[in-house]
Amino acid sequence: MLDRREFLKSALVGIPAGIYMPNIFVRALGTAMADGSRLALADGGDRTLIVVQLAGGNDGLNTVVPYQDGRYYSARPTLALRPETVIPLTAELGLHPALSGLSRVWAEGRLAVVEGVGYDHPSLSHFEAMDIWQTADPQRGRQSGWLSKVVAGAVDSQGHPLGAVALGARLPPALCCPPNAAAVIEGPEAFRLAPDPKYPALTAAREVALRRLYDAYRPPAPYAALFESASVGAAVGMAQLQQALESYRPAAEYPQTALGTGLKLFAALVDRGLGLRVGYVIQGGYDTHAEQARTHEALLRGLGDALAAFYADLAARGHLDRVLVLTWSEFGRRVAENGSRGTDHGTAAPMFVLGGRVRGGVYGSPPDLGRLDNGNLRFETDFRAVYATVLQAWLGADPAEVLGRSFPTLPLLA
Amino acid sequence: MVPTRRDFLNGLALAGLGAALALAGAAEPAARRGASRPLSDREEFGHLLRRAGFGAGPGEVEAHQALGWEGAVDRLVNYEKVPNDSLEARLAELRLDLTKPQDLQRWWLLRMAYTARPLEEKLTLFWHGLLTSGLSKAPPPLMLAQNQFLREHALADFGTILKGIARDPAMMRWLDIAGSVRGRPNENYARELMELFTLGIGNYTEQDVREAARAFTGYTVDREGRVSFVRSRHDDGLKTVLGRTGRWGPDDIVDIILDQPVAAAFLAGKLLKFFVRPDPSPEATVEVARTLRETGYSIKAAIRKVFTLAEFRSPAAYRSLVKSPAEYAAGTLRQLGVETDGAGLPGLVNQMGQTLFNPPNVAGWPGGPAWLNTATWLARLNFANRVATDRRGVRVDPGRWFPSGRLPADPAGFVDRLGELLLDGNVGPEQRAVLLDFGSESGVALDPARWFDSRGRAIIYLMLALPEYHLA
Repeated sequence: MLDRREFLKSALVGIPAGIYMPNIFVRALGTAMADGSRLALADGGDRTLIVVQLAGGNDGLNTVVPYQDGRYYSARPTLALRPETVIPLTAELGLHPALSGLSRVWAEGRLAVVEGVGYDHPSLSHFEAMDIWQTADPQRGRQSGWLSKVVAGAVDSQGHPLGAVALGARLPPALCCPPNAAAVIEGPEAFRLAPDPKYPALTAAREVALRRLYDAYRPPAPYAALFESASVGAAVGMAQLQQALESYRPAAEYPQTALGTGLKLFAALVDRGLGLRVGYVIQGGYDTHAEQARTHEALLRGLGDALAAFYADLAARGHLDRVLVLTWSEFGRRVAENGSRGTDHGTAAPMFVLGGRVRGGVYGSPPDLGRLDNGNLRFETDFRAVYATVLQAWLGADPAEVLGRSFPTLPLLA
Repeated sequence: MVPTRRDFLNGLALAGLGAALALAGAAEPAARRGASRPLSDREEFGHLLRRAGFGAGPGEVEAHQALGWEGAVDRLVNYEKVPNDSLEARLAELRLDLTKPQDLQRWWLLRMAYTARPLEEKLTLFWHGLLTSGLSKAPPPLMLAQNQFLREHALADFGTILKGIARDPAMMRWLDIAGSVRGRPNENYARELMELFTLGIGNYTEQDVREAARAFTGYTVDREGRVSFVRSRHDDGLKTVLGRTGRWGPDDIVDIILDQPVAAAFLAGKLLKFFVRPDPSPEATVEVARTLRETGYSIKAAIRKVFTLAEFRSPAAYRSLVKSPAEYAAGTLRQLGVETDGAGLPGLVNQMGQTLFNPPNVAGWPGGPAWLNTATWLARLNFANRVATDRRGVRVDPGRWFPSGRLPADPAGFVDRLGELLLDGNVGPEQRAVLLDFGSESGVALDPARWFDSRGRAIIYLMLALPEYHLA
């Protein structure tokens, strides 16, 4: 049997230079590297959920447009989209023309639009509403995110620290807490430890020392678990991520945006079989209080094109059936436009669900423009019913356990 | 006890990561690990200078110790009496173009690193995180003007600050006061004013938001950032806000809000969480709120109260906060007494998760544990590496750390002095042994200059990487 010190020494063998490798992951990583092929998640199945957050409150009415409803046109004298410009989904509803990227997904029956999603007594505060969606608790008593149980543990039993990946600088509350159960990745280039350029030969010794210093920082020292998960996730994740990206050639052209780059990275992780269970990416800027038309068009163009590229890439590689994409926003916007050619905070809005196993179509009923609550839409489908569907039919989790009670599921998935 | 490999893996499988590490780490506790002994003098003053500023540069702890606690607090708080000419001269020399975001960020980070009035910059950072605005909606000149406004009034009374910020062009754009008109008021500012700046959710109603929004109508900002008031666009009708009815204008709304007792408690909580600890006691909140109410919301009085609370100097407050990227970066330059023009600094701080002048949203940076994740941890270590090993844009002169002006002959002298500069002398025995091992394993004896350039610089990097050093 090796003692700890010997184990630490042996840990360095076989690890690429420039990488700080916490001892406890070495065996798992060694296995992964030796195998080199696709590794299925031991207890999570082979399925990936990609969450796309549209931050700021996406205007649902101008995303999925009730293009036959005169009340829509009278509420929005400058912002309404003309019937002939929308991409028709049904006789009543059509997509914003900037979402043309989703036409193929819709035509192939792989896009579900869930209409009128919201909850009782909706909050019009960004932060409260985001919290409610992320914790799946309109009463705001729950601290942990709705996906946190699914991704619990910084690493799965096969040593994949990239089981949950959030793109950006922060961990989304949906994946929190315990904090940093997910790897947070701002960009693959920045996701490695830099050496001393003048003394590259010192790199290994520096990183051994670094590891020993971190090993010496233990509970009850403040934030010990946080430092451990951040450093461990970084160390193992960076090795796997570099490996995946170096060898990945996407089969579609992604837009050069944070969302496009992010979805491409997720495609690489899925393709390399690195155990990605939940990927989380944010597209911000939807808080369109003023001069909404151009901003909103650019945002939706970015969304539709990135999703279209992701879909095409996965389809070309035969991964479509293993990936499900879910979009959400903290609220829709006020039915009537305001005096700044924008819209103020509102309530119910549509969600998109797409993937190879999705049964395309419009679910739920669009909110009734004739039955408003203080100028806002009344919701038709509770967002937790969508979560329950994804938890049960996609992630194999017990929705009642996660959500605290049961919700009717929707027949979104085949 | 040295656990076997089997113990180690069993622990991991059974109880997860944290438990495995706890199991692995049954050795002697390092200094200050969850300790409850009172803080030493050096710890107290190091703590004060971290919280009231960005950490102590070489010699700063000693200078403040000599004044005693009250004297040191006075000196920090009455910063208007402290000349700051050498900072202004240093910045002027750089000829920065403050209409560019990168230069604007660099300008502020260098202020934090080199100011003689650390509390001035720290409070400005506090206000920037509370009364947010951002480059995503306001161009650099407007963000600079707002930053100067917040700096100039950092110690003023809260009412003055709130009344000023509602007429600040960057804020007016950020929260859509600009262009809000009678009949169709934009609710953005009124809502965030109550929710995020002054009262907190639950202490006002949707109706209060709608009514208050009417008071902020009629203002515009032109392309140059000039504010004007168009009476015909202003709603001068009766409004009922928080139970009071009148033809309220913007300043009246601030007065009505600050009359709510909860407003003082709200701001007290914000100050305590930023300056003291993540979970301040109710007693401390009550005390600071009382000071605010008794002094007409004087920030100067409140911040002095904060620094003189027993809770501020308690072991529970020591290293209880996670440094923000600006604190980590500017503090490192300051504590090491490094010379740099700060080129490239903003990009490094952005990678750590903080884009100054552009908070992620109107609630500012969430802070605390949210600063640390896989990506930002890497960015922090890569920043530390840059400072320690850049050799050109960042000049580290270790001679300045020693009275003799020269490097000590043995690694222990170097490690211990660096521990004083960076960690109040708190380097645990286990960590100290690792650093000494690393410092002396070069095989052949090196002359001091070469030793410093290779091993010494790496030791700086390692100490900046220590978990303790990421905590304020």
